[in-house]
Amino acid sequence: MKQFIIIGNSAAGIATVEAIRQRDKNSKILVFSDEDYPAYCRCLIPYYLAGDIKEDKILYRAESFYRENNIELLLNKKVMRIDPKKNRITCEDKTQFNYDALLIATGASPKFPEGLKGIKKRGVFGFRTIKDTKDICGLLPVTKVACVLGGGLIGLKAAYGLKKRNVEVKVIIKSKQVLSQMLDFETAGFVQRKLEENGIEIILGQDVDEIIGNGDIKAVKLDSGKAFESSLIIVGKGVSPNIDLIKETEIKFNEGILANNLMQTNMPNIYTAGDVCESFDVALGQFSMNALWPVAVEQGKIAGANMSGDNLNYTGSLGMNSIEFFGLPVISLGLYKVKEADTNFEELKFCNTKENLYKKIILKDNFIVGAIFVGDIKNSGVFLRLIRERINISSFKDRLLQESFGYPDIMDFVSKDISYGDGYLNK
Amino acid sequence: MSIEKKSIDLATQEVLKKAQDENIKTAWDRLELQEPQCGFGQLGLCCTVCDMGPCRIDPFGEGAQAGVCGANADTIAARNLARKIAVGASAHSDHGRDVAYTLSLLSEGHAHDYEIMDIEKLKTLAQEFGIDTNKTKEQIAKELSKKLLEEFGKQEGELVFTKRAPKKRQAIWKKLGITPRGIDREVVELLHTTTMGVDNDYKNIINNGMRCALSDGWGGSMVATDVQDIILGAPEPIRGKVNLGVLKENYVNIVVHGHEPVLSEMAVKASQDPELIKLAKAKGAEGINLAGICCTANEVLMRHGVPVAGNFLQQELAIITGAVEVMMVDVQCIMPALQEVAACFHTKLITTNPKARFPGVTHIEFESKKAYEVAKQIIKLGIENFSNRNKERVNIPKYEMDLVAGFTKEVVFQILGGKYRSTYKPLNEAIISGRLRGLAGVVGCNNPKQTHDYFHTTLVKELIKNDVLVLQTGCSAIACAKQGLLIPEAAKEYAGKGLQEICEAVGIPPVLHLGSCVDNSRILTAASHIIEEGGLGEDLSDIPAAGCAPEWMSEKAITIGFYFVASGVYTIFGASPFATLGSKDLTDYLTKGLAETVGGRFEFCDDPIKMAQLMIEHIDKKRKALNLRPRMYQ
Amino acid sequence: MKQLYYDVKKCLGCKSCEIACAVAHSISEELFKAIKEEILSLPRKKIISSKDKNYPVSCRHCKDPKCVDACMAAALVYDKEKGMVLHDESRCVGCWMCVMVCPYGAIRPNIKTRIPIRCDKCKDKDEPSCVKACPTGAIIWQEETAMQPGTVPEGDCPATR
Repeated sequence: MKQFIIIGNSAAGIATVEAIRQRDKNSKILVFSDEDYPAYCRCLIPYYLAGDIKEDKILYRAESFYRENNIELLLNKKVMRIDPKKNRITCEDKTQFNYDALLIATGASPKFPEGLKGIKKRGVFGFRTIKDTKDICGLLPVTKVACVLGGGLIGLKAAYGLKKRNVEVKVIIKSKQVLSQMLDFETAGFVQRKLEENGIEIILGQDVDEIIGNGDIKAVKLDSGKAFESSLIIVGKGVSPNIDLIKETEIKFNEGILANNLMQTNMPNIYTAGDVCESFDVALGQFSMNALWPVAVEQGKIAGANMSGDNLNYTGSLGMNSIEFFGLPVISLGLYKVKEADTNFEELKFCNTKENLYKKIILKDNFIVGAIFVGDIKNSGVFLRLIRERINISSFKDRLLQESFGYPDIMDFVSKDISYGDGYLNK
Repeated sequence: MSIEKKSIDLATQEVLKKAQDENIKTAWDRLELQEPQCGFGQLGLCCTVCDMGPCRIDPFGEGAQAGVCGANADTIAARNLARKIAVGASAHSDHGRDVAYTLSLLSEGHAHDYEIMDIEKLKTLAQEFGIDTNKTKEQIAKELSKKLLEEFGKQEGELVFTKRAPKKRQAIWKKLGITPRGIDREVVELLHTTTMGVDNDYKNIINNGMRCALSDGWGGSMVATDVQDIILGAPEPIRGKVNLGVLKENYVNIVVHGHEPVLSEMAVKASQDPELIKLAKAKGAEGINLAGICCTANEVLMRHGVPVAGNFLQQELAIITGAVEVMMVDVQCIMPALQEVAACFHTKLITTNPKARFPGVTHIEFESKKAYEVAKQIIKLGIENFSNRNKERVNIPKYEMDLVAGFTKEVVFQILGGKYRSTYKPLNEAIISGRLRGLAGVVGCNNPKQTHDYFHTTLVKELIKNDVLVLQTGCSAIACAKQGLLIPEAAKEYAGKGLQEICEAVGIPPVLHLGSCVDNSRILTAASHIIEEGGLGEDLSDIPAAGCAPEWMSEKAITIGFYFVASGVYTIFGASPFATLGSKDLTDYLTKGLAETVGGRFEFCDDPIKMAQLMIEHIDKKRKALNLRPRMYQ
Repeated sequence: MKQLYYDVKKCLGCKSCEIACAVAHSISEELFKAIKEEILSLPRKKIISSKDKNYPVSCRHCKDPKCVDACMAAALVYDKEKGMVLHDESRCVGCWMCVMVCPYGAIRPNIKTRIPIRCDKCKDKDEPSCVKACPTGAIIWQEETAMQPGTVPEGDCPATR
């Protein structure tokens, strides 16, 4: 009987254990988590902060999940070191465990700008864990003005949550647009307008120079010199993968732990998945970090399958983001922005600013490498499929931006073996 | 669906069972295959006007909200409705034209089989057209028929019959620009406005629709009614029998079905021809039994007491009894299914009108010039067919009911008053005093989407219970007659105290049968006389009265509804509302907005007791507005 | 487990199925009342035309559902017993990840209610409403095992009842 060790109890970790259990009901599985909470829907914490959902809905699996699947869950057990030669891990409390196969799904942690004066004061939070959220909620009753550093998904969602709790929110963004890692300039404008219409102040092109206060935060000073009072800061300046535990090993990493098409590291019985890993991005055509929930799940499924003897191929990750702000839905897939002068790429675009509608498809040699949809996001799954399966779109290029475009336009070109199939007879 | 749910009429239930046993499909079966019917059509959101379509509007807001040309739900629904009004008006008015033309032929001696039966009415009508009546009746008839036919071709002015309406009502029409100018013109113009790229304003479309409907009610239908009275005789109260049980096992059964009594009258005459009766007896029958279906049945019932075999939904059932030798049909409400049903039996289906043919069915064209001859020819065919009857397959349900019909304006109020000249005074007084709470017109067709006859009878019973005198026409009258509501005895059993008193005093039923669907024009004329008599307001909309078509199906019903509403009457339509629900604005205009312009409006309701409540509420409201006491007996 | 199949040759694109679907998922479940409801229902299937043919697109209840993987709130789950993807509205936050990954584009967002619109095979009824509503019998409600390649089972066409 084998022993599987899974470091990480979130999207990737759970997907992995479910994939293993589908194939292997008997081997021992140990799941290690450095948090004090059973697997929960990390992406829901902004909604929890906002008060849209209660704590009882935040669990990703029922409390009974571990017992029913014969999984031993070890909470509050941070894994400090891996010893690939001995197939052994060591935890913070010095306990050690052996494994036949290991999954590293330690995720990532919020980046805190190191040099920023006052970053260690009370009242500065990352926005990654449920503990972060509970701590923030604790301060809300005495918070009048809050600042969010960073205009990424995390930052803006945090801003939404705070606004919903009736706190005045200022978002301070270094770049010239919101969501610079997800949208082009034009669509960022749509989102920014929506946020501002709903009372969230966006400050672009500036960074925080100093956080002022004695122990507790009182104010914030920008690099422009401007300062204003604030007693709560949420830092949304990106995450960095938690790779400390492999640093002293020979496991290869770049920014994240490198995974091949079987989700293996360079060590044959060590796998990786989720926010900690770096995989081949089909849209960019190179290895890249794609710290996204659906990507973590699909990687975990592959890793778990292969850890238990299967041989599934991961076609590759790509950026895929879906968010909605105050009724404006936005989806960004793959390569969302290219330099204007770059003639390798072709852009198909539709824009109706008045009605907040926007569609952009980025093509390279008649293959879709990226797309952005604002306002009307239906059928984006069809585009995702075209990107992933690398379908040459030349025969229906003129249909791509049509209102009536849909799966039937592409069905003769895509793979057939997706579960039930499309159900068409006498096509 | 169980047979009990299909009809409350026991005769119908019996024959439906026979049809089921013999695997013959009826309208109810075909309805089942059609269900579920198209939601776009039901809501009026389907437009097939031009070839840029066909278009539909998504009632749930997600899909298209405009047709290719840009027409929105309001325009599409209103145009569809207008087309139905035009068709309904065409049917009635074309019927009126045929009758007027017959009068013309008669006056020139080309229609020997007819004669001027009601000279008084001829003269009164002629006077309305400014014709000097110091002439022979043929001369008057000649001039009158010319003037009547001119009403169809008129391009400007006003239809003469509109002058019958109270002055106030005429003024409203004039103000709104909806006084009808010429009978054919209004239909043509209305159709014009509904083609692609003409009228986009739903209120305007409805106004034009009302004008066209008025050209029917105060035009084509009135021509039909009045000239029929002249040629065929004005009806008087007469006893008759109704329901499938009137078919007789040992007789040659001839069923006449359709709408134009110029045909059915001749059938009546021919069925009494001694030579033909002799022939029938020679063939082993006891005689010739003529019965009618639909409006033409009502016509010959009223004038000759000819029995009524049934109403619209019973047309196939009559054949299915296996006892019908010939069904002769002319126009309107004749189901194409009759061909197939007749083919299951020995029954000969015979068409008589070049406008209404069936492929492969015997066509014996009816001409006014040799009317009697044609009728005889057809009946002879029936007599010769008698021996082909398969006695094993005959099953005539033993249900027939007595009724009294023939209450026209000239007559009923004559009776009511007990005086020699007809006067409305007693009727008005009855209403003023509160013995009669008010008047209700319950009219219209059958529809298999509802339990056959249930709505008509339930509504009428509820109304007369509340002292509302009910006036009926068409298939609705036949429905109630089958349930025994059209006999004087019904007053004692079903009517409220006030209505009972009137009925007993005068000897009338609590429900008065005024005739066929074109005879709805009689209600308009009667209402005008009521206003003229005084004490009940100055306009038709003041009268404590309401109208209802509880089981309607025909476009003609829509036109009738519109001409009543345009004349100021609160009119309820049952079952599925006109296909207008897809447009909220249009529906609101019909059910609320019109009250402010024409004083009448539509209401859509699908429960007969609720219908009665609404009508009574309206009647009481009108009573209050006239400062009348409420109903005498609470 | 029964699934919905579509005989493309018979689909006239009349969209009666869309209306029937929207009505079936409304509060009143009657056409004339449904169109007056405060929050209008929406059809769970859509007809999309391509090259002169019409294709109804509806959730395929995939055995390996991409939407379930992508759902960050665990609101979408695959029920093996029912052979269906089920949606728990109480957990859903309207993030539209499911819309983003559905390989058929069979999920549409209802922005007003923040709930994804997706065929649920009319799980609380005897059979999906669209089947009855199709006037040509193009919608076929059949066991998966009964579907041999190349065969077309009889649809529930009103004309052949």
